[in-house]
Amino acid sequence: MTVPEFRHVVALFLLILAPAAFGQTADGPQVVTLDSSSPLIEVRIMVKAGSMHDPVGKEGLASITADALLEGGFGPSDAIVTKEELARRTSAWGGAANPSVSAGKETTTFSMVIPRDVLDRYVTEVLRPLFASPRFDADEIARLKNEASTYLTSALRYTQTEMVGLEALDNYVFGGTPRGHAVSGTVQGVTAIEAADVRGFFNAHYRPANMIVGMSTTDETVIDTVVGALAGSGNARGALNEPETPQPLPAPAIEGREAVVVKVADSGATGVHFAHPLPVDRRDEDFWPLWVANVHLGTHRDSHGVLYKQIREERGYNYGDYSYVEHFPYRPYALFPPFNFPRTENYFSVWIRPVSSDHAHHLLKAAVYEYERMIAEGLTEEQVEASKNKARVLYLNYAETASRLLAAKVDDAYFGMEPGYLEGYLDRIDAITTEQVNAAIRRYMSTDDLKILLVAEGSRAGDLAQSIREDGVVYGKQPADYRLESTELDDGTTLWEVPENRLETLRLDAVWAHHRLDVDPDRVRVVPVRALFESRDFIDEEAAQPDAR
Amino acid sequence: MRFARPTWTFVAALALAALPATPATSSEVETHTGFFPYPVHREILPNGLHVLAIEMPEFADVLSYNAMVLAGARNETIEGQSGLAHLFEHIMFRHMYGDEVGGYDKAIGDMGAFNNAWTWFDVTFYHPVTFKSNFEMLHDLEQGRFKDLQFTEKIFETEAGAVLGEYRNNAADPSLRVSEVQLAAMYGEYGYGHTAMGYLEDVKDMPNEYEAAVTFYEEFYRPNNTLLVMSGDVTRDEVFDAAREGYGDWERGEIPSAGEAPPVNGPKRERVDWPAEIPPRVQLTYRMPPHRTGSVETAVGQVLPELLVSETAPLYQTLRSEKQIASSLSLGKAQYESFGPGPFVLQSVLFLSDHQERGQEVIEEALTDMESAVEDLKWFSQRDDAEEVLERLKSKYQYDLLSRISSPADAASTFAWYYRFERDLAVFDELVASVKALTPEDVDRFAQQYFVDGNQVVVTLVGGAEGAR
Repeated sequence: MTVPEFRHVVALFLLILAPAAFGQTADGPQVVTLDSSSPLIEVRIMVKAGSMHDPVGKEGLASITADALLEGGFGPSDAIVTKEELARRTSAWGGAANPSVSAGKETTTFSMVIPRDVLDRYVTEVLRPLFASPRFDADEIARLKNEASTYLTSALRYTQTEMVGLEALDNYVFGGTPRGHAVSGTVQGVTAIEAADVRGFFNAHYRPANMIVGMSTTDETVIDTVVGALAGSGNARGALNEPETPQPLPAPAIEGREAVVVKVADSGATGVHFAHPLPVDRRDEDFWPLWVANVHLGTHRDSHGVLYKQIREERGYNYGDYSYVEHFPYRPYALFPPFNFPRTENYFSVWIRPVSSDHAHHLLKAAVYEYERMIAEGLTEEQVEASKNKARVLYLNYAETASRLLAAKVDDAYFGMEPGYLEGYLDRIDAITTEQVNAAIRRYMSTDDLKILLVAEGSRAGDLAQSIREDGVVYGKQPADYRLESTELDDGTTLWEVPENRLETLRLDAVWAHHRLDVDPDRVRVVPVRALFESRDFIDEEAAQPDAR
Repeated sequence: MRFARPTWTFVAALALAALPATPATSSEVETHTGFFPYPVHREILPNGLHVLAIEMPEFADVLSYNAMVLAGARNETIEGQSGLAHLFEHIMFRHMYGDEVGGYDKAIGDMGAFNNAWTWFDVTFYHPVTFKSNFEMLHDLEQGRFKDLQFTEKIFETEAGAVLGEYRNNAADPSLRVSEVQLAAMYGEYGYGHTAMGYLEDVKDMPNEYEAAVTFYEEFYRPNNTLLVMSGDVTRDEVFDAAREGYGDWERGEIPSAGEAPPVNGPKRERVDWPAEIPPRVQLTYRMPPHRTGSVETAVGQVLPELLVSETAPLYQTLRSEKQIASSLSLGKAQYESFGPGPFVLQSVLFLSDHQERGQEVIEEALTDMESAVEDLKWFSQRDDAEEVLERLKSKYQYDLLSRISSPADAASTFAWYYRFERDLAVFDELVASVKALTPEDVDRFAQQYFVDGNQVVVTLVGGAEGAR
């Protein structure tokens, strides 16, 4: 016990010297706090390492390391605390006392809720040994590898078609860069991971100096105790296995337009996505006008956006239609974006949730058209005001719980953002003018360079790709689908009686049908889903071969 | 130490629980501080409206404005009129504010608020959240629709159609069908015999029930049948001043009785066939005693999920870890935290692949394991680790309860959820004290009394070709 205590004292000493906000010493973590009167202390430990730090050929290592820390046991060899014992040991302190972890592309974040009155026991029995003496049990790592591999090869590829589209689009945009594979890894990468890799990743990245610690307390004693508990984490004193010099991570680049049609099982539906890189993030002033523009175009899981109104509400094609100016994890289920998955390279995207394959090409045209229309026409004063109002209401959900407030502060520290995302959110929205919105749209939004991705039922994928190559007139719903009255004329033609309130709908349908996508036919590909999530290449050519298993 | 309660609280709780829940009608502010992590202030208006204020200044500018109407599926006692409480939840959003159809919704939209509601066995809960600066406006909108809802027969018919759409949407999920079958078998004609959505035939007929709907509103949307809870960046004075001014003239009413639940006459076994190939489900259900804060029965009910479905529970170990035949195992407390004798629903979802290989056998195996787990509780005290397990669960219970209160909206809904039973400000202290006082023998006695054949309904769901037969 002497070593941890020694470290504890050092950490305490260091912390006293640290400034209060975003405080950090050379060897210690950055610390952020949230004032709260709750008897439960929420702790978030963000390690600044995610799947973009996975070594080449070991894709999935960041994610497996995170899980293996919690599930691979800890403590001295004569008193190993297994994951079952960890669950038992923490259960008396509430379900949330058992730590959980989520890895992202840039970071990995551990969360736990510690009752104030058992803090010392928690630190001694759980937090300190967990980070100072992880076992990374080989059997548990084998199990985690197996689970990750099963997830990629069967669950993701063959049962979660919406998720395939969302994950694949993210990888497609960042193809050829360290962000170009899923956080869960690739089938080949996960298979290649060895127990020593896990320990190596832990030693290299899980150093206190590479962490941000958020706590829902301003009590110095508590802060010192928690920070002190992490002093022995990773290769804390930095002698062995120094991480490689960080490689500059390239921004994604796309030239022109291209499309991939991913073949999945016959589900009767096709999901439509497209994206382009966005060289701003929430730290930039220009991000906020784009945020308002995006609320106008496609607020997630909300009826406010143009895409939702036109495609779902007016025409009833599907469940929802959204757009994004930041990556949004935990879709389709999350209603509001979770924190602690920060991205310093960003992309704009549109998601048309699964539609009948008969309508997929038409709706791709529709969504591209509506995006281009916004770029060309900008937003009116009235539209900006309505979207600013909607953006303010979103704040009520984004900032709803103490847990979210704390998580946002951890991201603020990662981004070096001041005032913080939530702290400054309302002021930033209030200050936005229509001119700023339209200037930002013109500057950053464009369909010149676009990656289009469709996740289509296998039997229709080829036709869809061909239809995109031919780029002809493609209609979606017909007048009969809108239940219009009709009369058969003597010459066999049908006369539709269009009520006034449907005229604009039908006119816009025709505009969409005639809108050209202009994708070079040679840049439209059909790939089987088995070629995705296979290796570091977005499309694994070997797995894409027709005779591949 | 927020958990150290004087022992007399427990005694007082027992005494209070024995009293009929007739609210006092004084008009003075009371304040209670205890286990609940924020002080709760109360004023009871002369018309019987209980107004609660929870000051949470750390959530700057946030106003959580909640109304719990004590009307739910339980109160739909007239044949052919199930689903009215839920329909009313919808109608309330169609209030003609400013004499304009859609006026309420538009005013909310222009003002800026996150506005939603839900309906359950006993209650309908409305919970808009907005900025503090909108207090006056929101208060005006809310008191208007609760006191004097304006809606037309046409609005009613349109909304009834929307509810049918919601029913069809939910019906795509087998959970609704399984619940319908389980509840009908356990409660028959009693209000708990159908889900909050109502029976399909009643939902279809809803457009013709305008008169019944008006009556439902007039009977149940009354101050003495409603709790008003405001939380966030508000002061008690602001809350009580607004409540007196806005709701003071709301007329008290005579609330119709929900009747008594008939005996189950179990054991009963029901099977749901589902056309699509989906994982099978097994439900082992029992009728529970009504929720009475401070009672031993209710205290046992509070720890049942931990004893049966948490990661450390023997049944979890058997089905999820050792045999790995269940992909999920659940038991929801909220169903039996009810005015009436709510259902205990222990459910496991099995793997489709196991069912394809082993057929009915795997369903019977899971059911047998579930029954044994419930049976084992009858001799819980004889487990070697009974004391230790119970002590751990008591501790966990308190922390989990606290962790539910993480936002103004959570604080208001969690407090109202338990407060509604006896309308006692010390409800959390009493609940926690009763759990802390539990002995292993209490668990035995409870299980022996309630987990009996006469109270039992088993429902299984099977999908695919076999299910379609």
